[in-house]
Amino acid sequence: MPSACSLIPPVNPTVIVRDLTKVFYDDSRGELRAVDGINFDCRPGEIFGLLGANGAGKTTTLRMLATILKPTAGRATVMGHDLATAPEAVRRSLGFSSATTALYPRLTARETLDFFARINGCPAERVSARVEELIDRFGIGAYADVRVDRLSQGMKQKVAIARTVAHDPPVLIFDEPTVGLDVLNALDMQKLIAAFRDEGKTILFSTHIMSEAQKLCDRIAIIHQGRIHACDTLASLRAATGLYYLEDIFVHYVEQSRSQAGESPASTSCA
Amino acid sequence: MTTGRLASLRELRRIDWRHVAILYRREMRAAFREKTIVLNSVVIPIVLYPFLLWSVFTGMLFVTGQTEKFVSRVVLIDFPEGHPALRRALERHEKLRLAPASGPKAWLEAQLQLGSLDAVLEFAPPEQAGAGLNANFAARILYNQSRERSVAASKRLSEILEAYREEWLLREARKRGVGAEHWLVFDLAAQNVASGKEMGAFLLGLLLPIIFVVMVAIGCFYPAVDAVAGERERGTWETLVSTAANRRSIVAAKYFSVASLGGLAGLLNVVAVLVTVKPIFGPILEEAGKTVEFALPLGAVPVLVLAAVLLAGFVAAGMMIFASFARTFKEGQAMITPFYLLIMLPVIFLQVPGLSLTPALALVPVVNITLMVREAISGTLQWPFIGLTTAASLLAVGACVRLAAFILQFEDILTGSYSGSLWKFSRERLLRRAACHPPVP
Repeated sequence: MPSACSLIPPVNPTVIVRDLTKVFYDDSRGELRAVDGINFDCRPGEIFGLLGANGAGKTTTLRMLATILKPTAGRATVMGHDLATAPEAVRRSLGFSSATTALYPRLTARETLDFFARINGCPAERVSARVEELIDRFGIGAYADVRVDRLSQGMKQKVAIARTVAHDPPVLIFDEPTVGLDVLNALDMQKLIAAFRDEGKTILFSTHIMSEAQKLCDRIAIIHQGRIHACDTLASLRAATGLYYLEDIFVHYVEQSRSQAGESPASTSCA
Repeated sequence: MTTGRLASLRELRRIDWRHVAILYRREMRAAFREKTIVLNSVVIPIVLYPFLLWSVFTGMLFVTGQTEKFVSRVVLIDFPEGHPALRRALERHEKLRLAPASGPKAWLEAQLQLGSLDAVLEFAPPEQAGAGLNANFAARILYNQSRERSVAASKRLSEILEAYREEWLLREARKRGVGAEHWLVFDLAAQNVASGKEMGAFLLGLLLPIIFVVMVAIGCFYPAVDAVAGERERGTWETLVSTAANRRSIVAAKYFSVASLGGLAGLLNVVAVLVTVKPIFGPILEEAGKTVEFALPLGAVPVLVLAAVLLAGFVAAGMMIFASFARTFKEGQAMITPFYLLIMLPVIFLQVPGLSLTPALALVPVVNITLMVREAISGTLQWPFIGLTTAASLLAVGACVRLAAFILQFEDILTGSYSGSLWKFSRERLLRRAACHPPVP
């Protein structure tokens, strides 16, 4: 069990996940435990990374936290709101962005920001000011009144991030945010995520890119086959494994989980 | 109050109407920027039917005109002696050209089939009844009904022969000292007592309800596919369900936008037809000596608006149920098409002569609305049946909305990971009530 979580300042967690489980049913494969009793907490001003291969359960976990999917078992809260009992309040408290959350092509950048600010509960009298603030901050003034389907990939990316934070949520969820981006746009994205952390927001971030996790995350949870096998700061993970590179650390835990596969499975808590 | 009604009220209360308004505005704004939707819900309703009517009638007039211009090529066989007046009438007719019989009858029939000849007028000795009359004959016109020219030739020959017979009869009667007053027994004439206004209402009643149903369906079709399958295909569905709006509000806003566009299409179409029907039909009917006044009775206007709301509400709900299972636009189109064809079926009922709105028919969705529209256009407003139609349609809409809410409570359908249609869903989850595990996304 990792003890390094105690290194995190003892502030109230904004995200609490307890025994969160998601079981899917497939006609040919039967029951599939995509997420299998995971636990972790996230705090303000922290980037918490879920590192795992494709199909490890990262996206399902984040979708459950965004209340897009309902957990099969376990519970989780975001800013004190329970996923099961107050999903609307949970969604108001977070901004969710993933490769599959596209923008409305027929709205302009300004209309997009206006819509997401309003629908996520930004007070009507503050919407205009907030939209202008976002346009300034993300440098999208030159194309604010251009329809999204006429924007370049980089421009769309900026609008997508701006719409995620349109209602100024305290928790941000980014599911593989740099997938499909070129190097420069990926670097811009990483800078933005770091900036949000510096503003005191809680960032949940999933990736399968080791360098990205190494560079950005304050704590990393290694997830494989729906379970968290390690969760700590990079320094602690290095100390625990005696390995330097995150890639080697990741492989170490994945292989360990495979060797334990015959034994009774146990998930690591990161709470 | 029953538990069911309480549940419905609870569901309604769970809809955040502020969110519905925000979402509705976005849906409509996006819809009016989508070429296909604007084309199907605005342009086609305004242009299609007036254009179709104009082109069909212009086409008919053109074909008739062209047929009138043709000179018919006719061959006479065994023309009887003693009828020079008939030969003169045939020879002098400016639209007839008599050709010599240059082959046997079988060959002439082949020429008729090929279209190189338009008619053959064959004379023969009279039948028994007419054998007593001197120089009498029997005549037979051979023509090809599958050819417009041949039909016209047959008609022209008939007219000449009829006129000749009439003249001959009078002549023979005079010879025998019998005046026309002794053998002409009665005249038969039909007179249409319907006023121009009534005729206009009758024609509109035949025309409008059919195209009204078609237009509402077309108006709902693309928005319904776009609202569900389109969102999934563009990848905006997940963006939408991760906002603070609850699922019911999202579905409600989408439903209202689809219904609005369907109703708009229906009403625009009615207005377009009403505006253009007079300039299109007027000249044709005037030529035929008929005065027809195309005016909608004032009482029909609110009934038409009510019909647009009810029909669009029902069609939108039905189409959204079918579209719920689609993951792409193409799938959506394929899934909605059977429902689209189904709601076109009642249009056939409108062709049944004398069919009117009865308490039983007022309970049949779509049929009731089309009959209600037809009667309102003809000036018949049966308020109890209109009330019954409204209640039955609202019940049908309510049932569809309940079914949509039931379907969309399944996570895999909501997220678009369910692979199957309404039929598969009905078999698996509605009929069998099987365990509802969400499948692997």
